[in-house]
Amino acid sequence: MPGSQQPPKLADRFLGLFLRGDFLEDVLGDLWESFDDNVSRLGLRRARWRYWYEVLRYLRPFALKKRKIRLNHALTMYTHFLKISWRNLRRHLGFSAIEIGGFAIGIAATLLIALYIQFQQSFDRHYEASDRIFRVVNRWSEEGGLGHWTNVHGPLKEVLEDNIPDMELVARAVIWPWGDAGENNFRPLEANYNDFQTGFMYADPELLEILEIPMIYGGRDALDQPNTIVISQSVAEQYYPGIDPVGRQVILNDRPTSTFTISGVMEDFASNHHLQADFVMTLVGRKSGPGTSGWCCSNYDLYTRLTPQADKVLVEQKTRELRNSLVVERMREVGATNLEAEQQYQSYYLQPVGNIYLNPEEVGDHLRHGSAELVWIFGIAAVLVLLLASVNFVNLGTARSMKRAQEVGVLKALGSHRRQLVAQYLVESVLYCTLAVALGTGLAWLMLPAFNQLGDLSLEMPWLSYGFLPSLMGGALILGLCAGAYPALYLSGFHAVDVLKGQGQRGSNAQWLRSVLVVFQFAATVVLIIAAMTLYRQFDYMMSKALGYEKEQVVNLSGLETLTPEKRLALKQGFLQHASVLEASLSDYLPVEGSAIENRSYWQEARRQLDNGMEAARWAVDEDYLATMKITMLQGRNFSRARNESQSIIINEQMVEALRLDEPLGQQLIDMFDQTYEVIGVMKDFHFESLFVDIRPLALVYGNGRSTISLKISADTDAALTDMQDTWDEFVPNQAMRYDFLDQRFARMYHQISTAKIIFVVFAALSIVVACLGLLALSVHMVAQRSKEMSIRKVLGASSRRIFMLLTSKFVRLVLLAVVIAIPIGWVFMDLLLEDMAHRIDLSWDLFLLAGVLALLVSLLTISYESVRAAMDNPANKLRSE
Amino acid sequence: MFGNSVTNMKDYKLGEFEEVILLLVGILGDDAYAYRITDEYKSQSGRGASIGTVHSTLERLLEKGFVESRMGEPGAGRGGRRKRIYSLTADGEQVLRASRDFRVSLWNQLPGLSLDQLRFAW
Repeated sequence: MPGSQQPPKLADRFLGLFLRGDFLEDVLGDLWESFDDNVSRLGLRRARWRYWYEVLRYLRPFALKKRKIRLNHALTMYTHFLKISWRNLRRHLGFSAIEIGGFAIGIAATLLIALYIQFQQSFDRHYEASDRIFRVVNRWSEEGGLGHWTNVHGPLKEVLEDNIPDMELVARAVIWPWGDAGENNFRPLEANYNDFQTGFMYADPELLEILEIPMIYGGRDALDQPNTIVISQSVAEQYYPGIDPVGRQVILNDRPTSTFTISGVMEDFASNHHLQADFVMTLVGRKSGPGTSGWCCSNYDLYTRLTPQADKVLVEQKTRELRNSLVVERMREVGATNLEAEQQYQSYYLQPVGNIYLNPEEVGDHLRHGSAELVWIFGIAAVLVLLLASVNFVNLGTARSMKRAQEVGVLKALGSHRRQLVAQYLVESVLYCTLAVALGTGLAWLMLPAFNQLGDLSLEMPWLSYGFLPSLMGGALILGLCAGAYPALYLSGFHAVDVLKGQGQRGSNAQWLRSVLVVFQFAATVVLIIAAMTLYRQFDYMMSKALGYEKEQVVNLSGLETLTPEKRLALKQGFLQHASVLEASLSDYLPVEGSAIENRSYWQEARRQLDNGMEAARWAVDEDYLATMKITMLQGRNFSRARNESQSIIINEQMVEALRLDEPLGQQLIDMFDQTYEVIGVMKDFHFESLFVDIRPLALVYGNGRSTISLKISADTDAALTDMQDTWDEFVPNQAMRYDFLDQRFARMYHQISTAKIIFVVFAALSIVVACLGLLALSVHMVAQRSKEMSIRKVLGASSRRIFMLLTSKFVRLVLLAVVIAIPIGWVFMDLLLEDMAHRIDLSWDLFLLAGVLALLVSLLTISYESVRAAMDNPANKLRSE
Repeated sequence: MFGNSVTNMKDYKLGEFEEVILLLVGILGDDAYAYRITDEYKSQSGRGASIGTVHSTLERLLEKGFVESRMGEPGAGRGGRRKRIYSLTADGEQVLRASRDFRVSLWNQLPGLSLDQLRFAW
């Protein structure tokens, strides 16, 4: 038998430890034989695991060595160890509480973050055919850049279906606000009060099959017929409690063309599903809008399931060939230009469904995402906090055991073996660890609701899940052994005579180690403080940045889809009757996320065939929009109701620049649908999208909003809201008024930063607490050790101040060193964090200084607690005791 | 003819797993050692079992006197170690028979499923 093919030697040795001697030969023979067979059956690695398993299964009474007496003896000894440990814990209750409590905090934090990371990793793992489900996205790879985005042309579905047999199913989906996708006023046809509902999307019938959506009523073919809709279980329970709603009709926005027949009820999407929707409308047989657009526009997410034997790379290859032939041809037919670049740089990429949520490819889409980076940052932070807490634990454990040097001396003098002493200290350490883990788990459980709220999560403690409790207990054991190893080995090495003579090795080794640990702890703490402060400043900066428009005192009312255009205008006039409403504007386009989006390509009319188009956002607004948002006009005029404005356009400075217009006013522009416009005005750039990106070209055209009206209200918000409610009830009695404040919606765009900010504050606070607890215990310990020395110094004439300095200077120096180490690390780390932001603060020295001073002050306060007492103490108290 | 054995059932307490293992000991004859039995059990029943489990059952059967053990020959892949071969004792055979008879008598009382249709081969 070749060496590598042999069963694990360690397992054999382990077996020898406990197996009855007379069994050893035949059992080992059996095991070896089974291993031999398993290697060929399962492969070497699994055979080795299996071997261990078989060995462990021999741990049963019949096979054990008969040594009752020794077992009993060991048991007594370990009970004794436990008892001593427990008494020690109680004797130094304060010290032990700090040690265990500090560790428990670290464990709780780590546990919560582990839960979070596990949740983030659990997205879209539940499909049976998970390795065959893909999202087809665009890839643009140009020198110096690789980009991905979802939206593809509608007819691509058929092209793929007809030409790539390896694509078993193909389905389009519309998730972004187009047609009725997004939010709507919803009611069953027979009801008359409209409810605001979110989570509408369109999909081809195959999507239910591809995403393996579990159906409660109806089948996975539910969307085959035109005008069908599938609703989620929770919606079904809300409107049709206890009955099968299939066949019932519902209506959106009181619009007869948006009447749908319920054809199925699906289970609610799991919280760890990348897609979240409660209403899925079919794309089959539509007359306009979603489902009908051709090669002009790319509006769809595309999902596909490959056949089991398909090769992803070959399929991608095939899509490229199709793009070069069929797709390019069709695009040319509808007048697309710039096809050479398209052919050169664009390709289709099959993104595995499991990647959609964490999105390592950074595909631009309309879904919520976790961030792989954030998972990493959190993971590192968790490990850091756990490390801090462990360091503290070891540190305190060592300090604690120093006090017991004499105990070791006595034990050794009485004939204790070193091995027994090591065992004693390890048992003690494991006991402490177990208590800390138990306490930490309880803490995590208590903090979970707050944590969920903070991160907008719905995590649960997996008490019953397989391996949770065992891994906690195993973790306690391993941590305990690791943390206890150093003090155990160190202490048990004392020579009895030295210790008893009073020359306990107040070893320089241990002090050196403890100093390193303190420096490490405070350095990490300072980095976390810097991170928290930086994020605070960044957030404040974003919130207070001059945006080019005024977001304060602007209310957005939505849900106007149910009204006729005339009624919307009347409603606007109605609002303006109130003195509290200063301005009113009908437009669906708002400078925050979640409002309408449209992009088109534009040219100077004369250069339509010459240049590549320039993409700009296109907002339809009415004549009051600029006044409501307080957007500044630089040149030209605003829209006016008195004129025909169908060919007028107002552009921003970026667009002037992108089109290279020297004299913008009066210029003729043309868009990708060959509509022509005359530039009537130029407005000042304003941040109409997130502050994470730079301002892009923006074009305003004249139009009235379908769903939203924005009101600029006076300073008395309550009065304005009351007035608004009156008018609303008068015009729209069958629907609740729904409104948002623009500045709040703006702040919500940055909730990721504000969440990250809070999380870093929490972590910084945690690590300060842990570090200070450690420092406190250390200083208490040190003061106790040196109390006699200090008393003598005092008797000899040292001042209280002098003694205080003596006691604190060492720690202060360590903390200072930590600050010096932490600042450059924090600088680099923060620079990385802010790197991607278009509008970021500059890192300035005062921030770092502040963090350093803060750490120093807190640590000084901590040390002072005991040192001041020692310095002020009457020396007689200490000296008398001998 | 069955009644007699049925009343004696209590004297031979035999669990289901024990019974199967006992049967396998009989079937395998000179090849009946713990690993071989485990392997046979797994392949015939389709269920998993560890060698330790089977071994402990064998030792229990040994205590009850249904099997006896002796050391056999070294085999391939065993690092030159001998096998512990188990074989049925007379008591073992009898307990198997009694257990079978008990079941057959029950089967015969099951309406519509008499033994003729089941075609037990003996």
